[in-house]
Amino acid sequence: MTDTHLPVTDITTTDLRRTPFHRLLCVEARKLVDTRCGSIVASILLVLVLASIVSRGVVFGPDLHTLVGTAGIGYGTLLPVLGILSVTGEWVHRTALTTYALEPHRWRVPAARCLLSLIVAVAASLFALLVAVPVTGVVANVRNVPATWEITPFMLAGWTGTNVLLVVAGLALGMLLLNAPAAIVIWLSAPVLWSVVKRLGAGGEVAAEWLDLNSTTSPLAAGDMTGGDAARLAVSTIFWIVVPLTVGALRVIRKDVN
Amino acid sequence: MIEFSHVSKVYRNVKALDDVSFTVEAGSITGFVGPNGAGKSTALRILVGLARPTTGTATVLGRPYTELGCPGLQVGTLLDAGAQHPGRTGREVLTLGAMMLGLPKSRVDEILDLVGLSGGESRRAVGGYSLGMRQRLGVGHALLGRPRVLVLDEPANGLDPQGIQWMRGLLRDLADLGSTVLLSTHLLHEVEQVADHIVMIGRGRVLARGTVGELGRGRSLEQTFLELTADADRSAA
Repeated sequence: MTDTHLPVTDITTTDLRRTPFHRLLCVEARKLVDTRCGSIVASILLVLVLASIVSRGVVFGPDLHTLVGTAGIGYGTLLPVLGILSVTGEWVHRTALTTYALEPHRWRVPAARCLLSLIVAVAASLFALLVAVPVTGVVANVRNVPATWEITPFMLAGWTGTNVLLVVAGLALGMLLLNAPAAIVIWLSAPVLWSVVKRLGAGGEVAAEWLDLNSTTSPLAAGDMTGGDAARLAVSTIFWIVVPLTVGALRVIRKDVN
Repeated sequence: MIEFSHVSKVYRNVKALDDVSFTVEAGSITGFVGPNGAGKSTALRILVGLARPTTGTATVLGRPYTELGCPGLQVGTLLDAGAQHPGRTGREVLTLGAMMLGLPKSRVDEILDLVGLSGGESRRAVGGYSLGMRQRLGVGHALLGRPRVLVLDEPANGLDPQGIQWMRGLLRDLADLGSTVLLSTHLLHEVEQVADHIVMIGRGRVLARGTVGELGRGRSLEQTFLELTADADRSAA
């Protein structure tokens, strides 16, 4: 018998206050990539971004704006899936028992995840820019054509904001359903569903125009929002993010963990 | 140290716990025994704030668990050894726990040593672990924060005889040093050998409590247990 578990924590000298929020954030960040599944999704994402930017650069030519936007195609699909997996895994594998035994103030865990997905989306956007800049330069040099560097900070911010919204929407959907297959299927089939809805007469067209997050975010991503675009974006954000996130968070907070 | 006071839990129309009251004193091991479905796990989950009682209160160290600040430093819990992400390694599970509690990385190695999962085993994914290995990992996770109170749900399940003997020694040492241990089990022979006090539960009600000697009254704990649970079943029917 070793005495490595001794003595017990001295409560007179130890800081017994709540776990600081930054610690929760670090733990959740680590959980994103510390399983086989998480690390596979993350590496696929990195490879996909690299490959798509390089190949688009070769085919399309050295246009920074186009190349940065190329990464968004992968991000819009896979980052939300990573978000879905991060919230649902806990209930599938029942690690929620451990998570919420260590953090009984449950709302702090989804809050950390929301902030984390925001950070991940911003970091991913920067990564795309970091890849696109040298690719644009190299392609222009190799082909001996002038590079188009035109990209406004407004465009870049709008595109990054789009990535953030899409990731948080994935997270919200995952939290609402707490079921990875269902959430992923809904997320991936949403574009198809909306294109069907659009063809269901005038009503369907209006619904798709106001609620399809992929189309309402495209003016934001392109950096040319009008007042009407902003209203449509707000409505679809309430529909895809605010409502499911609120309902999902309340459910996670109140649920008996089994 | 641990106190259940008139705790009831009703799921739709099933009464999972019915007016459960008992206390666990510091420096002792209390065995919480009952047949499957008696309400043991429900009671332990209520104790650590994972489920809400319909009525009544449960406290640890004089306070509701959810008000303990950073509870992992005072109360160690193992609620289900099987509840692990299969793709994470044993070492990673402990590393996440140590991070949450603000403990140094060295604590992970100490614990891996303590529970006998050092070397290659700790670097394998938990999905490939036997139930006994998961139990060792779970007990190690509970001990990370050097807690004064331990709440363990079926910790001996799936352990081999060496494992059971190891667990017995570990819990005895902890209790002798002043820790409070509440463990649920249906392994009556085991609990007889390790526990100081017994709380018997059946169909959500406390059927009996006392020291092992008091409850056995010269017979085996098993006989008392079978009699009491049969009575509870009859009166419920």
